[in-house]
Amino acid sequence: MTSYRLGSGGAINRGQSLSFTFDGQTYKGFEGDTLASALLANDQMLIARSFKYHRPRGVVTAGSAEPNALMTIGSGARAEPNARATVVELYNGLAAASQNRWPSLKHDFGAVNDLFSPFLGAGFYYKTFMWPGVLWEKLYEPLIRRAAGLGKATMQADPDRYEKSWAHCDLLVIGAGPTGLMAALAAGRAGVRVVLADEGFRLGGSLLSESAAVDGRPAAEFAADIVAELASLPNVTLMPRTTVFGWYDDMVFGAVERVQKHVASPSPDLPMERLWRVVAKQAILATGAEERPLVFGGNDKPGVVTAGAARTYLNRYGVAVGGKVAVFTNGGSGYRTAADLLAQGVDVTAIIDARPQSADPVPESVRVIRNGSVIATKGRHRIEGLIAERSGFEEVIGCDALAMSGGWSPIVHLMCQRGAKPVWSDEKQAFLPPDVGGAFLAAGSAAGHASIGDCLKDGSAKAHAALEALGRLVGALETPEVEGEYDPSFVPLWYVPGARDKAFVDFQNDVHVGDLGLAQREGFRHIEHTKRYTTAGMATDQGKLGNVNAAGIVAGMRGVSPAEIGTTTFRPFYTPVSFGALAGTARAEHAAPVRTSPLHNWARKNGATFVDSGLWYRSAWFPREGEKTWRESVDREVLNVRSNAGLCDVSTLGKIEIFGAGAAEFLDRIYSNGFLKLPVGRARYGLMLREDGIVFDDGTASRLSENHYVMTTTTAYAADVLAHLEFSAQTFWPELDVRFVSSTDQWAQMSLAGPKARIIMSRVVQDDISDAAFPFLAARDVTLRGGLKARLFRISFSGELAYELAVPAGYGEAVADAVMDAGHEEGICAYGVEALNVLRVEKGHVTHSELDGRTTADDVGLGRMMAMQKPDFIGKRLSTRFGLTAADRLQLVGLKPVEADKEIKAGAHLLKDGAKPSLANDQGFVSSACFSPTLGHFIALAMLKSGRERIGERIMVWDGLRGSEVLSEVCPPVFVDPENSKLHL
Amino acid sequence: MSINLLHRHVLEDHISGFETDPNPNHLSIIRRAVIFTVLAHAGQEAAVAEALWNAPDVAPRFCSPSEWLAVSRTVGAETVAGMLSEIAGASVVDQSDGRVLMEISGPSVRKILAKCVAIDLHPEVFEEGHSAAILCCHAEVNVARTGADTFEIIVPRSLAGSVFEELMEMGREHALTRGFVD
Repeated sequence: MTSYRLGSGGAINRGQSLSFTFDGQTYKGFEGDTLASALLANDQMLIARSFKYHRPRGVVTAGSAEPNALMTIGSGARAEPNARATVVELYNGLAAASQNRWPSLKHDFGAVNDLFSPFLGAGFYYKTFMWPGVLWEKLYEPLIRRAAGLGKATMQADPDRYEKSWAHCDLLVIGAGPTGLMAALAAGRAGVRVVLADEGFRLGGSLLSESAAVDGRPAAEFAADIVAELASLPNVTLMPRTTVFGWYDDMVFGAVERVQKHVASPSPDLPMERLWRVVAKQAILATGAEERPLVFGGNDKPGVVTAGAARTYLNRYGVAVGGKVAVFTNGGSGYRTAADLLAQGVDVTAIIDARPQSADPVPESVRVIRNGSVIATKGRHRIEGLIAERSGFEEVIGCDALAMSGGWSPIVHLMCQRGAKPVWSDEKQAFLPPDVGGAFLAAGSAAGHASIGDCLKDGSAKAHAALEALGRLVGALETPEVEGEYDPSFVPLWYVPGARDKAFVDFQNDVHVGDLGLAQREGFRHIEHTKRYTTAGMATDQGKLGNVNAAGIVAGMRGVSPAEIGTTTFRPFYTPVSFGALAGTARAEHAAPVRTSPLHNWARKNGATFVDSGLWYRSAWFPREGEKTWRESVDREVLNVRSNAGLCDVSTLGKIEIFGAGAAEFLDRIYSNGFLKLPVGRARYGLMLREDGIVFDDGTASRLSENHYVMTTTTAYAADVLAHLEFSAQTFWPELDVRFVSSTDQWAQMSLAGPKARIIMSRVVQDDISDAAFPFLAARDVTLRGGLKARLFRISFSGELAYELAVPAGYGEAVADAVMDAGHEEGICAYGVEALNVLRVEKGHVTHSELDGRTTADDVGLGRMMAMQKPDFIGKRLSTRFGLTAADRLQLVGLKPVEADKEIKAGAHLLKDGAKPSLANDQGFVSSACFSPTLGHFIALAMLKSGRERIGERIMVWDGLRGSEVLSEVCPPVFVDPENSKLHL
Repeated sequence: MSINLLHRHVLEDHISGFETDPNPNHLSIIRRAVIFTVLAHAGQEAAVAEALWNAPDVAPRFCSPSEWLAVSRTVGAETVAGMLSEIAGASVVDQSDGRVLMEISGPSVRKILAKCVAIDLHPEVFEEGHSAAILCCHAEVNVARTGADTFEIIVPRSLAGSVFEELMEMGREHALTRGFVD
């Protein structure tokens, strides 16, 4: 037995045994264990294979910086790859599997990579697989990906729920160790709103791993007491299992809460994870410090752990990492670990201290090798001994675990995510957090303090500063006494010379000292280049453990201070965040909100097929029995509108109510055509330009009373037009008295079109709607039979006699039903946006297919709508630019195929007959195309160079994408009723 | 010929099945609320706001510096229209069919709403009577505090189904129930 569970001690519930599996084998752990501590308790030190060389790897830390202990948790759709066993909370039935090995962890075929490792140094892939380039994607990359790697993502849909939430507080404390607890307590007692977040499942941080006493109690008990007091304060929110992963603008912090990751059978009513956005007035970084590994030969052997991890497993989980533990240290942490191990009856074979001397108290009966170093380790799947060296003399020391301590690095990550770089301190031999302003303060060991006492003091001091900034200052907290502390100082030791085996800097990516040297020699000297050339600091741990050592080693190679080397860039996320949490509820059909028309139910009852149009669901066509294709339905609907009547839902068009004595003048300046003289009770088609003279949107505006208009916009541009109106009114013409508000949602609006529209509408509307009383472009309030007030507009997009009837949305379905009933004898049908599109193409009306952000009014044949005699309107000045008036601009024309059975498709390009397809020969393109059931062949609208001069010309419609060429005749864009006789029936 | 027209609430398709007794956390849909937009013309903002705040039977909701919603559950649209049209310097639009009025209440209401809106709903920050035009479940809504644990949400009709479903989903862990109020 090497690593084992102690007979007593630890913050675990020995009364609650939990069963779990690792690679199919069943083990037992206790409530309060992590997966890693439970594996160690079962003497499972070999838990992974390394990324590149497939070397055997064991647990090296006890926290979220763990580079090695990556495994897949769960199975099927819930399988999660690359989980760090050191932070996975044990639960009954947990199933874990090792990764990157075949056929098994002990006998891994990929380990041959290690034999070839002399050839696999940094940059190997770049150099070796350079050419032929075509093989990279097809051969090399897939091979490399198979050989090197992490776990595999499941391809099944995630069965769990996720959600997002906001939190607001005066003070966010990140980390619930000694510093964070004191900060939260000081602020909590002062009555401000505090959020205390910690990634662990038990609040207390390093206090849970301490053997020292705080305030006369064991440290863990002290922590539990503070947590209990905080929990009793209504102004404090405790958030365990919550990793603050990012710091964003305006003091917004991103955090992810693992709500049910530790639960054997998750509740369907709770999310698996919850993404938090925490808005804080003040924040305190109390994330602590990371213990640095020492970089010596064979330092990646399973059983080599950080000294702090050895203490955590011992004191918190009641697990000894080995039966005979050697310690290699450059500071007091090693002595502290040795003392704790001895106190629990674990044999400590030697302390190898890199320093010539120190004042650290040496535990009785332990041999100390001062000025010593470790140059190699023995054993294969687990360390069996080490070779120590002092003054040229080597000695083999037996051990089954090695606790190493290379000093401490403050966890500065969050504070450096917004551009500020960490600052090197010669005194602390560490990168300290930068000054990012008074709202976000680093405290405790994150700020370079080392002892528990200093951390407790600094926590309450920084909370004090935050309270002062909040204007809520109260008396300071008394700092509790700490007994049994060790001197936590250390001397720098970046690299242990004389290594007999590879000395790893980045365990996860198999980067050793030689790779860093190669990068320097080959010119990748900047630390960011070194990172990318060697892969040091990449993948799931992002160099949490190795990056500072890498900077120190590179500094040593170059003979400069680490300050000159600096660090790589810190970016969110601090630790990996699942896509599920980031997506929240926005997945599948909930990816975007659903927007439905007031006539949605009416359309559904009539059998509509719906189409997404932005957020809207619009009725596209209404298939009837026996119709096999959408075209059959659409053709029928079009012909029926042209010969009888049809009803179409146009509720999605934007509607804006405009009020004020200045409204007429306002509209006159917004639209390119005149609006000053529009009489009450009339509608007018209007064209809006952008400031640069290009068409923006079109629609109608109707004058309902002297100072009240209602404007319609296209469906797509409803919000943009409202914003454009607001902007124009507020910034260009604040002197005009005009106000507006959207009423799009208030009205169900339906278009009744066809030669029989009037007779049908007159059965529904009480008012006189004869051509004389209600002529083309009339727009008025009317009363329906039965008394409902409504708005009626005589406007037409189809070219037929048509009315648009608007009724309050809640009556929409009932009114549409009534219109259908009223038109039953006349053969009314429901028609959708596809038929509407055919009707408007036949009539040569433009939509945003033609008004595509490149066309002028003249381009689309609406030059007459440019009222240049007006003093000004938006777009007037720039519409006369040379480029917008050039003779060879694309102009709107119609196209019909010379052979009547040929199909023209939208998006095809136009070529002179016989010309080769090329950019230089491009004559324009097809903007809209459809089959015209009225004419019996395909028709199209197209933008053609100098098109209006070319009516009658034959032109090739070339569709390279779909491989067709259709010789077509250029014709005027109005195919049906060019005299508009049907409008004025 | 007279036509009998039935008014239908947009959420009727979303709330089907048997009505259950409301839980402590409950979402009420007010079936026939009266909601008007009130626009103040330039220079009239303060006077219109004052008149609106003093108007009987309607509760004002802030939308923008010259725009409010006037909400009533007690009187009809014509009464409200008549009353509002007497406010000098204001233009009014009936939006009763274009907006859906919901009321969410209960001990967990702030936890549920924290998942839907980004603003701080702490009672010291967002007091009774306060209202805000804000995104809620991707839709532009107006949220108002009408009691210690009671909020009103006014949602555009076309997005009401989507917002309603999302609210219910966010309330799932708090056993949120729902129903119409006539």
